[in-house]
Amino acid sequence: MSYESVLTTCPYCGCGCQFYLQVVNGNIVGVVPDKTHPIAEGALCIKGWNAHVFVQREDRLHKPLIKENGEFREAEWDEALDLVAEKLGEIKEKHGPDALATLCSAKCTNEENYLLQKLTRATIGTNNVDHCARLCHASTVTGLAHAFGSGAMTNSVPEIDDSDVILITGSNTIEQHPLIGSRMVKARERGAKIILIDPRRVPMRLFSDLYLQFIPGTDVAWLNGMMHVILKEKLHDKKYIKERTEGFEAFEKVVKKYDPKTVEKICGIPANLLEEAARMFAKAERGSIFYSMGITQHITGTDNVKSVANLAMLTGNVGKRAAGVNPLRGQNNVQGACDMGALPNVYPGYQAVANEDAAKKFEKAWGTKLSREPGLTIVEISNAARKGDVKGMYIVGENPMISDPDIEHVRQGLEALDFLVVQDIFMTETAALADVVLPASSYAEKEGTFTATDRRVQRVRKAIEPVGESREDWKIVIDIAKRLGGKGCDFESPAEIMDELASLAPIYGGVSFDRLDAGEDLLWPVKEPGHAGTEFLHEGQFTRGKGVFSPIEFREADELPDKEYPYILTTGRLMFQYHTGTMTRRTPALESESPNPFVEVNPEDAKELGIKNGDWLEVSSRRGSIKIQSRVANIVGKGVVFIPFHYAEAAANVLTNPALDPDSKIPELKVCAVAMKPLPK
Amino acid sequence: MTFEPNILAFCCNWCSYAAADLAGIGRMDQPTNIKIVRVMCSGRVKPEFVIKALSDGVDGVLILGCHIGDCHYVTGNHRTMKRFQVLERLLEHIGIDPRRIRLDWASAAEAEPFSNMIREFTEQIRELGPNPYAGSYA
Amino acid sequence: MLVLMLEDIRKLVKRTLDGGKVDGVLALWRENGRVGPHLFVKGDDVSTLEIDPKYNLAAVAILALASGAKKIALIGRGCDERALVELFKRYQIDEDAIEFIGMACSAEQAQACECDIPYPTKIQFGEKVDGVVPNELKNVDDMSLDERFAYWRDVFAKCIKCYGCKNACPVCVCQDCVLEDPMWVKKGEIPPEFPMFHLIRAYHMADRCVQCHECEEACPMDIPLTLLYRQLRQDMKDLFDYLPGASDAKPPLTTVLEDEKLEEGA
Ligand code: SF4
Ligand code: SF4
Ligand code: SF4
Ligand code: FES
Repeated sequence: MSYESVLTTCPYCGCGCQFYLQVVNGNIVGVVPDKTHPIAEGALCIKGWNAHVFVQREDRLHKPLIKENGEFREAEWDEALDLVAEKLGEIKEKHGPDALATLCSAKCTNEENYLLQKLTRATIGTNNVDHCARLCHASTVTGLAHAFGSGAMTNSVPEIDDSDVILITGSNTIEQHPLIGSRMVKARERGAKIILIDPRRVPMRLFSDLYLQFIPGTDVAWLNGMMHVILKEKLHDKKYIKERTEGFEAFEKVVKKYDPKTVEKICGIPANLLEEAARMFAKAERGSIFYSMGITQHITGTDNVKSVANLAMLTGNVGKRAAGVNPLRGQNNVQGACDMGALPNVYPGYQAVANEDAAKKFEKAWGTKLSREPGLTIVEISNAARKGDVKGMYIVGENPMISDPDIEHVRQGLEALDFLVVQDIFMTETAALADVVLPASSYAEKEGTFTATDRRVQRVRKAIEPVGESREDWKIVIDIAKRLGGKGCDFESPAEIMDELASLAPIYGGVSFDRLDAGEDLLWPVKEPGHAGTEFLHEGQFTRGKGVFSPIEFREADELPDKEYPYILTTGRLMFQYHTGTMTRRTPALESESPNPFVEVNPEDAKELGIKNGDWLEVSSRRGSIKIQSRVANIVGKGVVFIPFHYAEAAANVLTNPALDPDSKIPELKVCAVAMKPLPK
Repeated sequence: MTFEPNILAFCCNWCSYAAADLAGIGRMDQPTNIKIVRVMCSGRVKPEFVIKALSDGVDGVLILGCHIGDCHYVTGNHRTMKRFQVLERLLEHIGIDPRRIRLDWASAAEAEPFSNMIREFTEQIRELGPNPYAGSYA
Repeated sequence: MLVLMLEDIRKLVKRTLDGGKVDGVLALWRENGRVGPHLFVKGDDVSTLEIDPKYNLAAVAILALASGAKKIALIGRGCDERALVELFKRYQIDEDAIEFIGMACSAEQAQACECDIPYPTKIQFGEKVDGVVPNELKNVDDMSLDERFAYWRDVFAKCIKCYGCKNACPVCVCQDCVLEDPMWVKKGEIPPEFPMFHLIRAYHMADRCVQCHECEEACPMDIPLTLLYRQLRQDMKDLFDYLPGASDAKPPLTTVLEDEKLEEGA
């Protein structure tokens, strides 16, 4: 007889809601929202309410699998782990450490990501470690680090309550960050204004005071246009610019060229609306900007982010409460995975691997030599694998076979590897290509921490024992590290791992399980054990000293529509599914809401194509084609189509363009050219 | 163009549906804008049926069953009557004019009262105008 | 006073557990700096027991009993008691499996919930305060039909279809929920079809809503759901002299009583 209520953090989005898992005799049967949690406040979105459903599904991976003659067979842990160590060791021996690469996971805990990057850097000896943040906010990290010195949300989520004007762009907040979206809507009821600037008429349109629709890929132009108006009408914050920033003159010169009429031609935003939006934002006492992948996933991703930073600085909106620049991070722990150094160029706490002092510090702590050479990013790893430069990979909790651009190339890369080990909770499309599959445990079966989008470090707690013979990821990583002769991996618990991390990453300096378990809200930087954490960043001074304005010219997307491929395809997610669907598609309450892939087509385009809602289409790009049903709705503008990327049976990423932003190496998932052909009924 | 109401009537198999038939056979003067759905008992008409009809743009909904005491399933219409009263009030709370729905009884022989009632209801809906409640959020 | 009451409750819980007549006591506790439901069993430290914030424990009781407990005590408020009564009536919980220990809500709590009956029938702790009538109730009453429709249409535009109202409700116990049936509500749409989704739920609550406000608290959009349900509750009282949560009466919409007299004509 046992009934337990275990407080933990939602494994879906970056909002970071907490709830109590309801555990009856070792079965998780439901969730109860935490009424005392600062974000959830007793509510959840549909994913949170169903976050328990996939955990004990029949088809969880229960035993390690080894592929022989193209077929998986079950194996004992020792056999599988020995094989992994042997193969990875061999590749390292023969081809050097840089022939290996690992992918960390934004779904795993901070402690697990810390260990995996440590294994990659210290035990294997390469910086080839990356994770899906590359595909979502790599450009935020580069752009904001350049402008402010830190690439995270400048403000905390509860501050939304006190914002005067909330500018949302490239974020379908209500569907993707429901408990942040709801906060915005409620702030508006108390008098805040909402400006929505997005190529899609997303649900937030119902709550915006101004809605501006624009052509995907023209962000820099309208941002410059808004700033043009602000400067022209002298609505900028001169004092702030003078005291706190640099680079203003060069920036001003560029922005001068972007008058609203010119911008209208590029973006399709009526000049008068752009002017109105500029005024509304500039006049706000507390203006905050929220953005997401609509800004970042472009070859101009870093430019877009820098332009957003420009706008915020121009209006004096960084470094104060309820204002700021707020990139909404998608995954439950994508912020944490970045913080942990699951990136090829930085150690935990964003300390550059190329920085001699940082490298020395980590060499001392980890007792080994470290490479000063930044490693490869996700798309680069896949290219290198195709070329044969990378020969072995260890992928934890990621599914690049659905999530990455140009899936055909990803497949070729993974198939070209000499050895691939995938660690996951289900047999994913990626795991199916592996030589060894290791069964990991879900969030409900382990201790650790996640860091929510607003730098909020929160506990994840074990509600049940790992299902079947699956093991906690952190234990598996330790097992492999030890077999590879790794030092410094004698951790008894995630709490100890956090202690080591805290000693090395100053932004986590004061974070400990004890403090979190006492109910403290810790938002990094938490400098030392007595430090209360930081609600909003850059108060009084930017992390890098002065804020930097960047002069940014508009550049077109890599692939524009033409005669052959006349539509712009943009991709994204839905409320009821999550990423590659590994969890949500196994959750009936979610899957039944949005069971089928679709391409969203504007009614005018539908008319020209002679199709009705629900008709089948073949959508093709230069990289591939898929068959998919249409959904005719006035959500995308004319000439633009939208496909959610969750569905393996009609994977949007067969079509997308892997062209990279030169600075951050983020691929242009938000714009590519496609053709559409109605299929015979 | 004059407004021609689009009306849905749920008729009980054992009485009002037969009354409708009879009215048809007798060629009684009847409005044509009525669509009849035959149900086995007025008790089968879940409030969902009515709400769905209004939600999908139907201008008026009739539920017609056997007289109290004559229900083929003894008490089906007792429940219909109770549920209907709650439904009327619910519609009113949410701002939907309850005159758009009506519950009435007709025996299989009551062809004339049946036609009269339909005419009367159609007139009432005509006065109320087209259903303004349908449609998703723009 | 509240502190004293809390101390008294803790003492009673300890006595109850030591007494051994129940397998556990369902209440709230403070752990990890937060407050949530907990089944206290013999030997547990009762000093962690809390009574705020309000969590309706009736639904949790179903889970606690599912673990195999034969009998549990439950520290609850008026709405917990009413919800339990509905659950007994609907064969979700065996009446003998629960020992209800009732506390009356403070005036602040009653105000926070805008609760009409902020006390249970059996009050062991606290003192009865008056029920509260929400201001908004008069506002919507005063509106014209069209204004009211516009009001609710706007309010429900905020709905993100989280089903939190359904999930949190202690008396929403159907295994297959109509709201999830594509026959009635289109799948995958946000906001969900108005008025379908919300009218159906409201109707289904008419003879069971015990005004515990869990739905509203679970609503990420602060939609004033209980306003609508409260009006329906009043209708049930006016039409059938029935108040959900009152122990003796059977739900009138699904039953026909032997002695029921229905007048002919609608
Ligand atoms: S908003 Fe995000 S964190 Fe909250 S319940 Fe939904 S998916 Fe989970
Ligand atoms: S409908 Fe709301 S107030 Fe009524 S019983 Fe359910 S949760 Fe409580
Ligand atoms: S809780 Fe609120 S948002 Fe969620 S389904 Fe119910 S009314 Fe809609
Ligand atoms: S059979 Fe006609 S109303 Fe029941």
